[in-house]
Amino acid sequence: MTEVKLERIGKSYGAVEAVQEFDLTIEDGEFLVLLGPSGCGKSTTLRMIAGLESITTGDLTISGTRMNDVDPKDRGVAMVFQNYALYPHKTVFDNMAMALKLQKVPVEEIRDRVGRTAEMLGLTEYLERKPAALSGGQRQRVAIGRAIVRTPKVFLFDEPLSNLDAKLRVKMRMELQELHDSLGVTSIYVTHDQIEAMTLADRIVIMNGGVVAQVGSPREVYDSPADEFVAGFIGSPSMNFIDLRRGAGGGWSSTEGGLRFESLPFSLGDRSEIRLGIRPEHVVITPHAETGANGGSFEAEVRLAELLGADALLNLDIEGCRLTARVGGTGHSRAGDRVQATLPTPLLHAFDIPTGKALPRLVS
Amino acid sequence: MTRNRPRIGLYTLAIIASVISFLPIIWLILTSIKTTAGIYAWPPQYLPAPVTFQNYIDIFTKSPELLLYVLNSLIVGLGTTIVSLSLGGMAGYALSRLGMRRAGVLMVFILAVSMFPPVSLLPSLFQTFLNLGLLNTYTGLIIAHTGLFLPFSVWMLASYFATLPKEIEEAARMDGMGFFRIFWSIVIPLSWPGFVATGLIVFIHSWNEFPLALVLMTQNAMRTAPVGISLYPGEYAFPWETISTATVIAIVPILVITAIFQKQIVGGLTAGTGK
Repeated sequence: MTEVKLERIGKSYGAVEAVQEFDLTIEDGEFLVLLGPSGCGKSTTLRMIAGLESITTGDLTISGTRMNDVDPKDRGVAMVFQNYALYPHKTVFDNMAMALKLQKVPVEEIRDRVGRTAEMLGLTEYLERKPAALSGGQRQRVAIGRAIVRTPKVFLFDEPLSNLDAKLRVKMRMELQELHDSLGVTSIYVTHDQIEAMTLADRIVIMNGGVVAQVGSPREVYDSPADEFVAGFIGSPSMNFIDLRRGAGGGWSSTEGGLRFESLPFSLGDRSEIRLGIRPEHVVITPHAETGANGGSFEAEVRLAELLGADALLNLDIEGCRLTARVGGTGHSRAGDRVQATLPTPLLHAFDIPTGKALPRLVS
Repeated sequence: MTRNRPRIGLYTLAIIASVISFLPIIWLILTSIKTTAGIYAWPPQYLPAPVTFQNYIDIFTKSPELLLYVLNSLIVGLGTTIVSLSLGGMAGYALSRLGMRRAGVLMVFILAVSMFPPVSLLPSLFQTFLNLGLLNTYTGLIIAHTGLFLPFSVWMLASYFATLPKEIEEAARMDGMGFFRIFWSIVIPLSWPGFVATGLIVFIHSWNEFPLALVLMTQNAMRTAPVGISLYPGEYAFPWETISTATVIAIVPILVITAIFQKQIVGGLTAGTGK
């Protein structure tokens, strides 16, 4: 039973607080992804768990043992680095066997364990090669193999796929997923790539400026972002944000004009301004049939149509209010077309403007 | 065509620089194969006529101590190189990689030490070595030379280590290596171009070092090549043929080593300046 517990973990470099009050329990066998833009503290958090970075405040426990001052090698963790970090002057076999050799595991057992891992990762024929003679994908596999051989309690991945090209990244992502399914080892994975996060994670921790912005399943962070940052960070292209002002009659209209809502299904309190969010894929486009604003439907002009292949992005102008909509890639509207854009109320998000926090939806 | 013009200028400059630095050596070599009459001829003889190797034969038969001088230089040079690389490597690694506090200040101190002119150290060094019985010993001169060249070794190796990807050392820590083990089995094998370059430069400097070698090695049998050769001139005679021949013999090892390792020297000096 491997449970990794971070209790109010913090890291500061002098006056700079890189990570603040990180509080999280990672369950046995869970695949947890730390996601965020660069400099958000996700790698620092991972390195604190690994023991490569000291912990300024708070407690780290793995399987109930406090690990703050334990040497990296004694924490039962193995790490896969972004740039592989293989020993260039040693063979693949020696790279994978190093930790076991240092643990004084009998030679026979080392050969057996490295052999089995190499077979699992398809590296058997490369065992005698040096890393320089391998492709990027193979090198990363060796790095993963080196972690597996140690049979750690926790796997730590620091952006392991970002050095690979797009095609290989998808393939390795799937391999990682299969690997996790078959080994079932608790894994903590750092990435800035939201697709990796969405596809791999049991739970995603989204970080921003050293603080946890939201913890949740991929579904939760996509459907119910806790704040504007998460809403904008998850999803590509990112969510449309429109500032709304309360009118004299109680209705809401966008400050740039164009959008008008009689009421919104959020507990808005006595706010006079809010920020509305809608994902491009949730904007419904229909050929121009009826006119005028009508229950979340607006007349729009297509200003720009960008074909992505399967999808197309339409840049819409609703009387001065600009929105992006994602539509099917075939037979979509062209620039200059007039269309009807519908913003379905159940798919809207609302945020408090000063704090960026999501406003709770009214239970109907 | 206009694109070639800077090239031509560049080559001209490079050729001028090479000629200026090589002219003395070429003159030296030419002198060593002239006859005594040719050396003192007026107008000066530019190319030796006749070419003679008698000077080389003479020097090995008449003044065999030259071989001893070269051997002394070799022992001192190698000793200095080995000690400088060991200490400089460990110090450089600690200063550049182990997250020491005030490492930058220490590095500047180390550099400041090397700014003393060696001559200013001589009186106290001589007295100390005399008291310790280190005069006329290889150990003594190796210690003195190490003192001179260690700052350079520390700086050069520290900057080389700084170019190694940190993750490799971190991976080694995760694998369970201690700092010394990481240094020994990861850092040293990956930094050998830096070690080769640093070692060669230290060796060459030790080989050519004059003031300390002159003062700390007073017995003829312990003299290094540059000192020994410089003492050839007698009170009344200036044996140019002997001096030039001996000098050629003394610089041959350096030239050979430099020619073999020039790639490593340049690579080591420019490490980290690009990917």
